[in-house]
Amino acid sequence: MELRYLFKKTQTDNVEPESKAASEAPQTPQGLFQKCDSCGETIFAEELRQELFVCPTCGNYFRMFASTRIGNIIDRGTFEEWDNDIPEKNPLQTPGYEAKIRRLQDKTELDEAIVTGRGLINGHPSCIGVMDCRFMMASMGSVVGEKITRMFERATEEGLPVIIFTASGGARMQEGIVSLMQMAKTSAAIKRHSDKGLLYITVLTDPTTGGVTASFAMLGDIILAEPGALIGFAGPRVIEQTIGQKLPEGFQRSEFLLEHGFVDAIVARKEMKDYLGNILKLHENSGEFVFDGADTKEQKKLKNTLTAWDKVMISRGKDRPVAEDYIVKLFPDFVEFHGDRYVKDDQAIMGGIATFAGRSVTVIAESKGHDTKQNVERNFGMPSPDGYRKALRLMKQAEKFGRPVICFIDTPGAYCGLEAEERGQGEAIAKNLYELSSLKVPVLSVIISEAGSGGALALGVSDKVLMLENAIYAILSPEGYASILWKDSKRAPEAASEMKLTAEDMLSLGIVEKVIAEPDDLSAANLSEVTEVLASELALFIGGNLDFDGDELCEERYKRYRKYGV
Amino acid sequence: MFKKVLIANRGEIAVRIIRACREMGIETVAVCSEPDRNALHSMLADHTICIGPAQSSESYLNIGRIISATITSGADAIHPGFGFLSEDPKFAKICERCNIAFIGPTSDMIAASGNKAQAKKTMMDAGVPTIPGSAVAVNTVAEGLELADIATYPVMIKASLGGGGKGMRVARNREVFEQAFLTAQSEAKNAFGDDMMYIEHYVEHPKHIEVQILADKYGNVVHLGERDCSIQRNHQKLIEETPCASLSDELREKICDAAVRAAKAVNYENAGTVEFLLEPSGKFYFMEMNTRIQVEHPITEWVTGIDLIKEQIRIAAGEPLSFTQDDIRITGHSIEVRINAEDPEHKFRPCPGKIEMAYLPGGKGVRVDSAVYSGLEIPPYYDSMLAKLSVWAKDREECIKKARTALGEVIITGVTTNVDYQYGILSNPDFIEGKTDIDFIEKHSHK
Repeated sequence: MELRYLFKKTQTDNVEPESKAASEAPQTPQGLFQKCDSCGETIFAEELRQELFVCPTCGNYFRMFASTRIGNIIDRGTFEEWDNDIPEKNPLQTPGYEAKIRRLQDKTELDEAIVTGRGLINGHPSCIGVMDCRFMMASMGSVVGEKITRMFERATEEGLPVIIFTASGGARMQEGIVSLMQMAKTSAAIKRHSDKGLLYITVLTDPTTGGVTASFAMLGDIILAEPGALIGFAGPRVIEQTIGQKLPEGFQRSEFLLEHGFVDAIVARKEMKDYLGNILKLHENSGEFVFDGADTKEQKKLKNTLTAWDKVMISRGKDRPVAEDYIVKLFPDFVEFHGDRYVKDDQAIMGGIATFAGRSVTVIAESKGHDTKQNVERNFGMPSPDGYRKALRLMKQAEKFGRPVICFIDTPGAYCGLEAEERGQGEAIAKNLYELSSLKVPVLSVIISEAGSGGALALGVSDKVLMLENAIYAILSPEGYASILWKDSKRAPEAASEMKLTAEDMLSLGIVEKVIAEPDDLSAANLSEVTEVLASELALFIGGNLDFDGDELCEERYKRYRKYGV
Repeated sequence: MFKKVLIANRGEIAVRIIRACREMGIETVAVCSEPDRNALHSMLADHTICIGPAQSSESYLNIGRIISATITSGADAIHPGFGFLSEDPKFAKICERCNIAFIGPTSDMIAASGNKAQAKKTMMDAGVPTIPGSAVAVNTVAEGLELADIATYPVMIKASLGGGGKGMRVARNREVFEQAFLTAQSEAKNAFGDDMMYIEHYVEHPKHIEVQILADKYGNVVHLGERDCSIQRNHQKLIEETPCASLSDELREKICDAAVRAAKAVNYENAGTVEFLLEPSGKFYFMEMNTRIQVEHPITEWVTGIDLIKEQIRIAAGEPLSFTQDDIRITGHSIEVRINAEDPEHKFRPCPGKIEMAYLPGGKGVRVDSAVYSGLEIPPYYDSMLAKLSVWAKDREECIKKARTALGEVIITGVTTNVDYQYGILSNPDFIEGKTDIDFIEKHSHK
């Protein structure tokens, strides 16, 4: 027999409870809790608001009202709303459409599925458009298209950047072909804005699909996404029905897009405002050029005691600093951007923007890892075509915004593999040489360790090339050279010397402009000895090109490469 | 007065609260997790609602489920016990919003006490002594030295992001400060990537003294004397006693007054405990305020004759305190021994399992608060405390003998317990002489 039936419970209170006024009785007031669709947890609404509508239990991102989003992103009191009185049209005379719109307008207090306007983000002015899914799944009808177009036209006129938080089911069925035309109309307005050298950032939120993805959502200079957002052209259900297969976990989510090269970065909601503010700041580029390091850091003497093969081994050393270490030291505010916008984000190339002495620069680096795990992720610094295309994308972006490009070269060579050939490794490298030769902004390359062949040159068609004392630059590896010419890769040390691949050789051949001395056993611990010299070189280069003339730069660069050989 | 109280807890404290409610004629609603269906509290309450699986986050910590159990069962108040949601300001706030009386202080008071930096400042402003030291973190030796002088040596240097003893060093005087600071800082930098350091006075070999407070909604605050909880292992109290053996009446009054001031400074209501560190010199410092009933409350009940749980319920129901400070008399001595299902031979690892047989002692001046019975399965998911044995006698010497005698009768088979270990402490000459401080266990652990 269970204990519970054995206890004598002296419950005495059988009197009727005092009748409390209904308002005083325990009850859950409406809206006190909200349920998370993902984990099912009941969440205290106040806490959910504090967490910016991210589930504190499972991290799921709730969809956000446009007004809440604007409140979170735009500095208090600075938002000025635009075009909230465009009359609705029913171009195809769809029955019931107008009534539906009116009902939604009453319910949501929105005029349409997007709010547009202007405001400050951490003090930086920008136009902003925020879509709101409560309004017909934020589908793009003619009013949405019109509001976006007008915003871009006004931004173009006033020289302002634009940020759009996208969320949409796509085109609006009720407006049919007219809705489809909004894709073209908005894209055209964005093109004009871009041609003026103005910045456009999109932030993809859940869900961004259909005609919105296939127009203004994917046209940002910088494309950001919230974690876990559904982003795609065709909806997952449609795809499954069409191909008759179940889609894999995570398909069409932000992380999937990042991996496939379509998103620059995934940014947590809590960090979004500061992230956007920073990007805007980096694009204002209004800061004065102030370099507070030594102007001409005294150069250490180069040592001449090592053989070429010694240097090959040093340049491949396990503890030798990699590009990321240089970036951390020279560009503490570096913001990394990902993806080639075609296939993949190749981590063998690291690229992004930063400031140097108050000026914005684009930094692109061939990126080896610190340990095996990182090296596997970064493919031992051997870029795929996707990596070169990412680099090219960032170079063209630098050109659009008129900022110098700083390249760090450190690769055994371009990746040699099946997929690399399938995706056109040769074409990708060639395209970089071709485009770099006429990039209308200053380009500086620094060879920090290994510069192997075309894979290195793809980041090395520059106005000026610097090279570390123990770095090497060659048409192929000494092992390869020895095995091709002498059928014996063991004779690599001999080959190294014959190949003329040291920094000194490069200087005497006129391939590089300057050699940077290294301390003994260059490592993370004494890297500052090198980066301090590099900083003064960067200052010299950027400071000397403050008022650059793009055509002149191209002309000089042409001459620089024209002179090699006979 | 409340008609029905839901007890958002388990184990002996839930049983303790059910008993108090029953004596007061209040209906009780127990909540339990799935493995706790046969727990004593589940069987003893008038109504029991199973609110979810074993994992605390799915049951005893799940605010949504506890609130809905409260509303569906028609309870008008929640007693949170200790641990679980008892000091979660969010829980208290939700109760307030739902017109459910939370038997404890208001959510704002819980939040204010939970914010250590804010609490320390409030106490300083109220004239309650706090550990001298930096309100700001510094990262240079020069700044550190300046703060150390203010804090007075010995000083503790600790990483602002610290934890787990990393980035912590004691400097005994000015001469060794620099060395200690730089070592701690480089550790901090490696471990947490941050080199900002706090400097505060290092309280050496202190006793842990806490004062029981009761405060009603009308500004009446009384203290119920102190408890000496110095016998701790890894911040887990093992044995508590009251009064503290080595406290002069004068110092006792000073500490208790400070506790009342602390409670008044935050307009405290309901039962609370103000914790202090007491240096051998007699200097004492505010540590924190616990805004809930404490595990060791029975010893205060023994020496004052006041039922703290009932007082908590009365205060929450809006009744004023029925006594003043002058009415409170501390009589005799009381000791509490915690009996845990843990293995002292193996780093005190918890030992859940089935209780084959439990015989718990009784007799004059002996009280056992427990939720175990023969045949109960102790689930591995929760705290390992099985029972609290508390005894009362007219003086400390007799009290220790009584505690030993009673503990000697405890028989719990089926799971390993710390009974023998506790018996050892009660027999330790230093303990018997009252030579205890918070390093007692560490000092004697080799024996």
